[in-house]
Amino acid sequence: MIQTIEASPDEIYDIELEHSLLEANARLARENRALLDAHGITAIDVMGAIGSGKTTLIGRLISRLKDRLGVAVFNGDATTSCDTDLIAEQNVPVVQIATVNGCHLDANLIGKALRKIDLNGLKLIFIENIGNLICPAEFPLGSKARVVVVSVTEGQYMVRKHPHMFLGAHLVVINKVDLAEAMNVSVAQLAHDVHTLKPDIKVIPASCKDGTGLDEIATELVAI
Amino acid sequence: MRLRQSWWQSSPQMHELSIASSIVESVLEFAVKNEIKKVLEVKLLIGELMAVEWEQLRFCYAAITRETAMEDSSLEIEQVEATVSCPYCSFRGRPKYWEDALSCGPIATLQCPECGKAAEPEQGKECVIKTIKYVI
Repeated sequence: MIQTIEASPDEIYDIELEHSLLEANARLARENRALLDAHGITAIDVMGAIGSGKTTLIGRLISRLKDRLGVAVFNGDATTSCDTDLIAEQNVPVVQIATVNGCHLDANLIGKALRKIDLNGLKLIFIENIGNLICPAEFPLGSKARVVVVSVTEGQYMVRKHPHMFLGAHLVVINKVDLAEAMNVSVAQLAHDVHTLKPDIKVIPASCKDGTGLDEIATELVAI
Repeated sequence: MRLRQSWWQSSPQMHELSIASSIVESVLEFAVKNEIKKVLEVKLLIGELMAVEWEQLRFCYAAITRETAMEDSSLEIEQVEATVSCPYCSFRGRPKYWEDALSCGPIATLQCPECGKAAEPEQGKECVIKTIKYVI
């Protein structure tokens, strides 16, 4: 006997049926957010390709912010702890989240990391996502804002190649602009591409080498 | 984990595996509760704005349903068209597409087709099991 059950359109999002496939993660993300809000903490999800300069950027921002407010870092990395070690040198709480074969952080992993550190006194948590511009887009973590880091060394078409990531971002950092000329990449064109996808988003050109844009990014993040 | 190395090489989009796992978990839970012997078909609704690669999702689905009540079931995918709404000019409807973005097809943007300011996604972020067909 063949039977078909069909959810009527108004039932499709019914959580009781658990038919929404990303709902489990979304629920955990809301729990993380509630925990963070209760402690007055803003979490920032930092995304970008491998080698786009996420760790270095976070490191530079911590140097600027740690004397003013409590900062911690969660480092997502498939296998290594070298990024975590680099951040730990700055004497701020840091949790390494090894995803081993996973290509994105999810809300469950962030929930675990939140229970690893003392949240009292913290104001800002940087969550460095896995170096991947596709997967993390669909997995909210509970952060208040998402920063996408794209560097000129990734070429002129990085934004066009990964539109989904930018549609969900709150701030875009175009990194390594000191190398733009050598790479023959137009920073203005990259920024234009971002605004074609999402007109109201803030785009900040930056260089961790000469310090371009870093104060502006720090100001922007503290204001979120 | 024989494919460990090739996972790395071939799959920047492994979230399809996460989504496939989520489908299988939900459906098998339903199957156990309702004493279903065999699942024949699962129909999904996937929003146009979701970065989900259908062929990879099918591949993952086929791989992880083996030796379960879902083995050999078909996975039907229906796309939900994106719609946006504009808080500036009150436009509601299909998004503006970026035609010359060098991609295989036009890319949906969050630029209002009417006034060019920032629109909000309204529909197109779905990732839902719509129906399952099964045998008792």
